[in-house]
This record gives sequence, C-alpha cells and structure tokens, in this order.
Amino acid sequence: MSTQILATKLYTPPSRPGIVLRPRLIDRINAGHQGKLTLVSAPAGFGKTTLVTGWITAGERPAAWLSLDEGDSDPMRFLAYVVAALQTVAPQIGTRIMSLLESPPPPPIESLLTSLLNEIATMPHDLTLVLDDYHVLDSQQIDEILAFLVDNQPPQMHLLITTREDPRLPLARLRARGQLTELRAADLRFTPDEAAEFLNHRMGLTLSPEDVVALEARTEGWIAGLQLAAISIQTSDDTSRFIQSFTGSHHFVLDYLVEEVLNHQPPHIQDFLLKTSILDRICGALCDAVLHDAGHSSQHILEYIRQANLFLIPLDNERQWYRYHHLFGDLLRKRLQQAAHVDVNELHIRASQWYEQHNLRSEGIHHALIAEDFGRAADMIELEWAYTHSTSFQSRGQLVWMQALPESMFRNRPVLSAGYGWVLLDFGEIDAADTHLCNAERWLAPEAQADDVVSERIVADDVAFQHLPATIAAARAYLALAMGDIPSTIKHGQRVLALTSATDHHQRGMASSLLGLAHWSSSDLEAAFQFMTDGMESMYRLGNVPFALSNTFGLADIRLAQGRLLDAIGIYKNALQVAESQPFTVQGVADLFMGLGDLHREQNDLEMAREYLQKSETLGKQAGLPDWRVRFCQAQARMKQVTGDFASALELLNEAERLYYATPVPNPRPIAAARACVWIEQGQIDKALSWAHERGLSFNSEISYLNEFELITLARIHITQYEHNRVQQSVDEVASLLGRLHDAAETNQRMGSVIEISILQARLYWVQGDRDIALTMLQRALQLAEPEGYVRVFVDEGMSMKAMLSEALTRGIRPAYTQKLIAAFQPAHRQPLVSQPLIEPLSERELEILRLVADGLSNQEISQYLFIALNTVKGHNRNIYQKLQVNRRTEAVARARELGLI
Amino acid sequence: MSEARTPGPDQPLIYQVRIKGHLDDDWNDWFGGVSITPEADGTTLLTCHVADQAALHGLLRQIRDLGMPLISVNQIEP
Repeated sequence: MSTQILATKLYTPPSRPGIVLRPRLIDRINAGHQGKLTLVSAPAGFGKTTLVTGWITAGERPAAWLSLDEGDSDPMRFLAYVVAALQTVAPQIGTRIMSLLESPPPPPIESLLTSLLNEIATMPHDLTLVLDDYHVLDSQQIDEILAFLVDNQPPQMHLLITTREDPRLPLARLRARGQLTELRAADLRFTPDEAAEFLNHRMGLTLSPEDVVALEARTEGWIAGLQLAAISIQTSDDTSRFIQSFTGSHHFVLDYLVEEVLNHQPPHIQDFLLKTSILDRICGALCDAVLHDAGHSSQHILEYIRQANLFLIPLDNERQWYRYHHLFGDLLRKRLQQAAHVDVNELHIRASQWYEQHNLRSEGIHHALIAEDFGRAADMIELEWAYTHSTSFQSRGQLVWMQALPESMFRNRPVLSAGYGWVLLDFGEIDAADTHLCNAERWLAPEAQADDVVSERIVADDVAFQHLPATIAAARAYLALAMGDIPSTIKHGQRVLALTSATDHHQRGMASSLLGLAHWSSSDLEAAFQFMTDGMESMYRLGNVPFALSNTFGLADIRLAQGRLLDAIGIYKNALQVAESQPFTVQGVADLFMGLGDLHREQNDLEMAREYLQKSETLGKQAGLPDWRVRFCQAQARMKQVTGDFASALELLNEAERLYYATPVPNPRPIAAARACVWIEQGQIDKALSWAHERGLSFNSEISYLNEFELITLARIHITQYEHNRVQQSVDEVASLLGRLHDAAETNQRMGSVIEISILQARLYWVQGDRDIALTMLQRALQLAEPEGYVRVFVDEGMSMKAMLSEALTRGIRPAYTQKLIAAFQPAHRQPLVSQPLIEPLSERELEILRLVADGLSNQEISQYLFIALNTVKGHNRNIYQKLQVNRRTEAVARARELGLI
Repeated sequence: MSEARTPGPDQPLIYQVRIKGHLDDDWNDWFGGVSITPEADGTTLLTCHVADQAALHGLLRQIRDLGMPLISVNQIEP
C-alpha cells in the first residue's frame, strides 16, 4: 500500500519569538556536524524540540524535519517519510525510491538505503536530517535502518535525533571515535541565569532574584515546569503566595502546575483543552465536531490558547493544524479520564465521524477502535480493504486493524471476513485464512439468500459483495497452490476467470498466474504458457510492471523445457526492454540478466554469459526477486563447471541449497541433482551414486516432469561408470529407463529433455560398441538442437561425445554444426584460477574494484556502477593499497598487472 | 530457596516503583491500577501487580513520558 504523506509531519515547528537564546548549546550542535550523529536525549519537557528549531532558525545548514509517531515503526512507511523529509530541502532526492516503495513487492530495505545514500553523496550542499521524538518508535528494524544510515552516510549528511531515551545505536563506538555529540538533561536544564531571562524577560514577569532562585530550585531547571509556573503567575493575583505554596509543596511539579493553570482558565477553555486532548492533531473544524458547542468558535479558542502559550505547537504555516505538546497532552488526558461527566467514547466517535467525512479513513478507524465502536470500525475497515484490494496488495496496517476487532464482528460480515482471509493469506496464516474464507462462503450459499438470513447480513461495500464469489475463489486458488493441491488450484482459478469481467485485471491476472503455475507443475506446458501470458498481460494493464515481469521466468523456463532456446532468449530480452523503459529499477531485472547469462552459456557464448551474470550480480541485492541468490548461485555454478572449476561450482551449489526455500514455482532441476552432475564430471561416481540411493531413485521409478531431471542424472551416473570400468552391469535397465524417459518427454513435447535423453542414449550405445544406433540417436539430438544453437548440452558430456561427433562429421551428419561443437571442446575456455602471491589475498569485491580502477573509472563512477556508497569505494581502495603495499591508484594498477591479478 | 518462592519467568509480579514528588491517588487509573503512597521524604511509592516484564516496562515508559524522576524499582515478595 502506498503511504499517504502527511505534510504536517514534515513541518519544522517555527521558533517562537519568546524563547531563550542558548548560544552555548547552538554552538555545540554546530560543532557536532564534524561527526555523524547529534543526540538530544532528555526527559519530556526539557526543551529538546525548541532547542533544535532554534538552531534551524539560526540557519547555518539546511535541515529536513520529521516528527515521528508510532506508525513510523513500519520500515517502509518510515523510509517513505525520511525521503519525503529530505525532499523538503533537496527536491531531487529519492524520487526513484519513492516509486519503488509504491510498487509491490517492496524491495529489500538495504538496497533502498544504499541507493538513497548514493544520491545524497552527489549533493552539492550539506544537510541535516532531524528525527524528532525517536523514542515513540519501538522497532528493532528501524534501529537497524538507523545504524546502517549512520555507518554509511556520506560526509554531506548529518543525523540529529531528539528522544526521551537513548536509541539502540552503537553509541559507545561513535563516542570513542568522536563522531557523536550529546546534549543531555544536564545540558538542557535552564541555568539560574537562563531561568531569570526566561521568567522576567520572555514571560514578562517582574520576579525578585530570590523568587527566581526558588522557582529554579523547585523545578530543577525543568523548562516545562518553569513555563507552567510562569503562566500560573501571569494569571494569578498574588505572586508571592503562589511561589510560596508551590515551592513549599512536595507535589509532582507538573501535576501541581497544570492544576493551577487550568483553574485559572475560564470554564469553556478548560472544557476545550480536556476534550480535544484525545486528538493527535487538531484543527478548528475537527474541534467543533468533537465539542458540539455552538456557543464558541474552536478557531478562536485555538488562537487564544496559542497566545496564552498553552503548549500548542503549530503543524503548518496556515495556522490550521496544531498539536499539544506531548507532555501537556498527557496531563490533559489524565484529567479527562477523571472528568466523570464527560463521555470520552462519544468524543472519539465524533472524531471518527469527522475524519470519515473528510476522507481520512485511517484516522477514522483509529478513533472508532479506541471508542470500541466496532461496528463503525468494521464498516470503515471493510471499505478501506476493498478499495486497496483491487489495486494493490495488503498491508500490515490492515492486519493490525482486523486483529483489533472482536472475532464476533466477522461472523455476519461476508466481505470483511473474506478480506481478513486475504490479508491473513498474505502474511502466511493459512489456517486462520481458511476459517475466515469459510465464514464468508456461508453467506453465498443458497440457504443464506432467505430474507430472514439476509437481514442479518452486514455489508458496507455492496460492489465488493457482488464480487465476493470471485474474490473468495481467487483466495481459494492461492491457498490450494500454497498447500500443493494442484487440482483444487485449477478448479478455483477457472472459477475466478468465469466469474470476473474482462476489466478486473487484478483478480484475473492473479488467477491466471496461479493457473499457469498449477499447469506447469502438472507438466501441461502449453496451457501453463498460455495462462502465464494472460497473467502477464493483465498485470501490465493494471500497471503493475514488477508482477507482470515475474511471469517472465516461468515463460522462459517452459520454452526451455520445450527445447525452444531462442524463444526463451527472446522472452528475456523483451522483458528486459520493458524493465529498462521504466523510470526506476524494476525488481527482478537482476533475474532477467541471470536468465540471459545462463542461456548464452548454453550457446557457449561465454563472454556474453559472463557479462550478463556480472550485471546480475551487481544488481542482485537491489533489484533481485526474493530467491534471486538461490538461482544465481545455480547459474554461476554451471558457469564454473564450464571452466572446470568444480570446487567453486560445488561451493555455489551448497550455498544455493542453504538459501533454498520452497515456493509454488515448480523446481524441475533440484540443486542436489545438479551437484551430482558436478560429481560425475569430477569422476566422483561413488558420491553421485550415494545421492541417487538416498533419493530412492531406481530404474523403475515412475516418471513425472518434476523428477525427470533426477532420473536423467541417475542414467548419466551409470553410463559414466560404465565408460570408466567397462563392467556390463545394469546396462539393460539403464537403456529401458532412458527409453521410458524419451517416450514421456516426447509425449509431452518437452523437446529440451528429448535432446538430453537422446544424447545419453547415444553415449550408452556408443560405449557398447553399437555405433550405428548411437549415431542415429545423436542425429535426433543434433536435428532438434541445431536450429536453437545448443552447444553445452553436448560438450558437457565429455570426451566420448567428442569421439561421437568426430564420427558423425566423418559420416557427413550436419557437418557445420558438428564442427562447431567439436571446436567448443577446445580447452581454451578453461581459465586457470588466479593465484594471488599476497600475504592477504584480495577479496572478490576488491578485485572487481581494482579492475574498474584499471579501466580508468573514477571513485564516483565506481560507486555508481556498483551501487555502493562513495565512502565504501574509498574504504575498499585503502584495503587494496594496503594489501598491495602501494600508495595510489596508478601504482595499484601497475602492481596488480605485475602480479597477474588483472 | 524453595521452589515455591521462586516466581517463574511469566508469573504475575509485584513491584514497588519510587519516584520523586508527590502524586495524588487520582493517578491510579492513569497507570492502570497501582496503589499510590506519598511518603514523608517527598517521594511517592507506586505498588503494582504486573503480569510480566513487558507490563513493567510499559509502566516505566509511562513514568518516563511524564518526565517523573525515577528513584528505584524493586521486586517484592507477594
């Protein structure tokens, strides 16, 4: 869900004319900009915000302001607000990130932060990001984001935090490095001189030095206390009596003073302050609605309160929105709680109604939930869910609202119940989702259409109710696929298509993609291809490019299984064109490059393959789908196999296996089988055999699309073993298995598999000495593979294949193609591993940077190319210099060349 | 120490929180049911039954948000 940015949170509260100037503190903040972080950490009422706004007004550096509230604990929302705040001083910053934040699925946070910091690093001027009231956030994720920012921020940026408790940041480390400036309670307290200036000059009192000292001592320089005391004195008849009783009392300072201040206000002002204290933000019209008091204009009262210095903080320049100082607001709310004559729930309901009328549904829901007016809240939550469901995906906020409703509220609300089902599905709560979908379904049954039953039904969004059968069917298809129930997925998916109109792109797109995955899993490749194409089409129409592109991988994989290598390349290239025409980096671009790299490897265009894989790796962290790394490791492993670097290939496959998690996307080439293939190439037949044994694979195993590759690998193990030891053992069984595999693949038009199986059949007959049949088999494979440009599928089979191809060439079988394949056996492609004659070898990343340096790129260009902060590049450079024992770039390049590292 | 006297990690606990300054009884509701005892030395003792550690931290946060100086927190025997 895209975040609606409230401008009031970005508004720097103006520095009031009446404040005490505090040059000793302002100077410290200015000096602190040498470091990374300024922390203003003190209890409520110590003038933290006032100090910082005073510093901003003094105006040495542009400052971006963000007033935090509890809702900002959501990382995506927090980030959206940080960017919006930065844009108030640097409008060009972060436009790309904003659009990324609005496009589901949200990209990984770290890549967004890196991208943001890189943009800041290019700014011509410095800026300070002020996070006000950081203590309201209670989120480890936000703490981690902040730690990342502090660690990586470019020199242009400085962070200033005001808070009531120290944030969970590595403060000790920052302190030790002199990168932290702290202003704490002891610094912020008014000194006796400041107290005198405040009371007598700013608040216009005429107190004796003794009185000032007495007040300063009683409040211990606590500014909120002194301000309330001053207001009390302003409205009191007898100053010395007030001071005497205040300083003589043991009462909690604020409790005492707020009582005093309120008691001196006219009744309608007291009433106003108490009742409006329930609001996080206040404006005249909203207060009118909450108070229902025709006798007084809220706008006038607000003006009066502002002039009386009663802790009212403006949130805009128009004097429209305000809030109470949080501390004062708390004290007012405590008093409201005790005002027995006031119906607080009724106030919340009025606020909820006003917000609803002004299209601020989230706030409306908030107040309805506090008032425990669950019916009202349920209606609004239903409308909000239905509104966002048709255009985007669910948010955690909706989950929280729905969880706040009693279970009984869902019973007779079919739309809301289905909505809860969907939201729960998105957060992986399968069982609870099922319960709520069942409840919604009850209301669609024929017996639920009887008049007396219908009268119990509650629906806030009639259109959503009309669409309910399709909404539920889509959820059911999703649920079934998550449970691995293919027939049910297909049944429900078809139902969605039957029930929705052609313009309901969201439901249709989702259903089509689910149907595509289901047909793919059950090996109906052509149907799967058609559904995924439809799903992609619908998502494009909806404008959701990332989700449209996520179908690409299925489409390309299917074409590959069908032996249509060129089509698969075309699919990736088209998708890449769409992705690159977007104004921002689309999630999944890294996966497109990886797919292209892998297919070029198959065609033995290793240079292009390397280039694409390199691009994929560079972009992976920031623009890869969630399982990008898993698939990248597999593609990279195949590349390492080509160059004979089996150790690295195995390492990559092990990493892929560690990171792998099951998704509804079929996985026809399991990682363990790929590893067995590496063992075969290495000659570690025993290991490969024990894998097959553990997997329970046998020559009689039933064949399905999903275990086909494992069975092909089993055959390959035995053929290779036979080639090695020439012991005629289970040859007939292998031949029969390959025959069955061949028939199954041919029947389902999996021509990619037919090529691979024919090659193995050829090898088997060849080693048995049956050359004519072997070449017939090989010819079948060559005939299918030539037009598509396959190379590695032959070459990776090893030296027996080279011999067979030579024989084929002698017999004049497809001479151009066989010549090309034989040439690919040249060992030239097997690059020796670079050995580093260094005490401390350079890391992959350092080698990468060194190559870019050698290519003549500046640090700035390298940071942009690799999507890392400029400072990170500089850090790498230092390490490189140190390891090579040189002092500058040119020397580093020369030394690296000398050592054969680049 | 016998087992019966060792409260489990999730047992309801009784804490005494001492803060500086006197508070009236009417703060009872604000803190969600604590007993309030003003003491002669100008401090106030809040005695509260809390469900667990999280509830205790919630109470301390409320005290923090009012800017009340915290003097001590003690767990006491039921």
